[in-house]
Amino acid sequence: MKYNFIKSNTIVFIFLFLAGCSGVGNTSSNTSVMESQGTLSLVANGEDFVRKGFTTKDGWQINFERVEVTLGEVTAYQVAGGFNPEKKSLIKSHKSIQLLSDSKTIDLAKGGESAKSILVKATQVPAGFYNALSWNMLPKMDSAFADGRTILLEGTAIKGDRRLNLLLGFNQPLKYLCGEFIGDSRKGMVKTSENTELEMTFHFDHIFGDQTVGAEAEINQKALGFEPLANLASSDRGRRSLASPASERVPWARQPRQGRSSFARQGTSDNLKLGQQDLSQKLSLEAYQKLENAIAGIGHVGEGHCSIVK
Amino acid sequence: MKNWQILLVVALSSFRTEPLLAHGAKIQYGNTNAIIIRATYDDGTPMKQAQAVVYAPNAPTVPWMKGITDHKGQFTFIPDPSISGNWDVKVRQSGHGSIVSIPIQKGLIASKNKPEVAGVKLLTNNSDLTFLQKIIMAAAGVWGFLGTALFFSRKPVNEKK
Repeated sequence: MKYNFIKSNTIVFIFLFLAGCSGVGNTSSNTSVMESQGTLSLVANGEDFVRKGFTTKDGWQINFERVEVTLGEVTAYQVAGGFNPEKKSLIKSHKSIQLLSDSKTIDLAKGGESAKSILVKATQVPAGFYNALSWNMLPKMDSAFADGRTILLEGTAIKGDRRLNLLLGFNQPLKYLCGEFIGDSRKGMVKTSENTELEMTFHFDHIFGDQTVGAEAEINQKALGFEPLANLASSDRGRRSLASPASERVPWARQPRQGRSSFARQGTSDNLKLGQQDLSQKLSLEAYQKLENAIAGIGHVGEGHCSIVK
Repeated sequence: MKNWQILLVVALSSFRTEPLLAHGAKIQYGNTNAIIIRATYDDGTPMKQAQAVVYAPNAPTVPWMKGITDHKGQFTFIPDPSISGNWDVKVRQSGHGSIVSIPIQKGLIASKNKPEVAGVKLLTNNSDLTFLQKIIMAAAGVWGFLGTALFFSRKPVNEKK
């Protein structure tokens, strides 16, 4: 009698304990067929820095022809009370939806100056507020240049009478854990049968700095700038015309878009074609560490910061 | 105008107890429960003159109130006590921003530790446990006490024999 009582008591206690523990932490959604759904459009945004060009903190005018990022394992979450990336913790959600499982390479410069954010994928998801997002920056295997790169930058850099044709490949695989999108509007609130956006934002001014905000601004204090990279350019002065298209300079380069990089006058240009390994060898240790940190810091959700898992 | 009409106007006017003044001003005061948030950058510098937007729980995509933080990075608002739920406050400045979700019941913060903006990061202590999980945890606790009490109140085995 005594042992039967203890046994039954223990079984019930264990059952309640396990039931209480279930669902704590990350949980994948068991979407009911009857659950109301809407469309969540995952977009990637390089902002005007990528689309229109900008002036770096050290005075270089940068214009991009191609800005590729390779993404994967993108997941949207519903988190009670929101996710604060500053706490450096994992995302604990009551619902999560994987929006992109395979890797996908996106050109953030696609579409010209007036282009909107680049659509990555639209997914039918249960209605609700997706206020957290995570994604991986994955290596792209391509034998053409900087094999295994996560980010590719192609364009021009101009300062005074000096012009560089730049082709940079960064290889820093990592994972971003982000909270709610911070911007003019709120994003991620999916209503039944409606379409809403969830945005991954990439701040390339974090690498090169932004002259418009002043030298004392935090972003410029942390940014590498462009001058240390320009010092690594290989000189081939006088061999090419400033007006020559990118495709004549390097075989894999794209034709410049209309309205960009249209140097009318003849002159000289240098090439800056470097991968991550080159940069680690040619930059000073301090400059390279600054570059690494700046590259890791480009992932945002609007103006909202993300935590990084390397 | 007849005399009785003039007298009536004068008589009615004499009933006014307050002087009639142009550009009058009144100041009233009272107690209320306000929410104060503080926004700072990562290094602790206050986000001065930053844009603050408040969203009420019943319309989370429509700004309920807009304002500007003061020189300490602080922003104060008084939530409508009739709207309970998570009130969200977004603070933005110069490409930086964050949002905090403040649980409010009947105008008061429904949390032991008050959420605070720290470095555009607003600290919340909201538990991620669902209501069902809380009920099950409570039931497990009660069952534990009950089981223990029953165990010690049992009759000795040798008495039965």
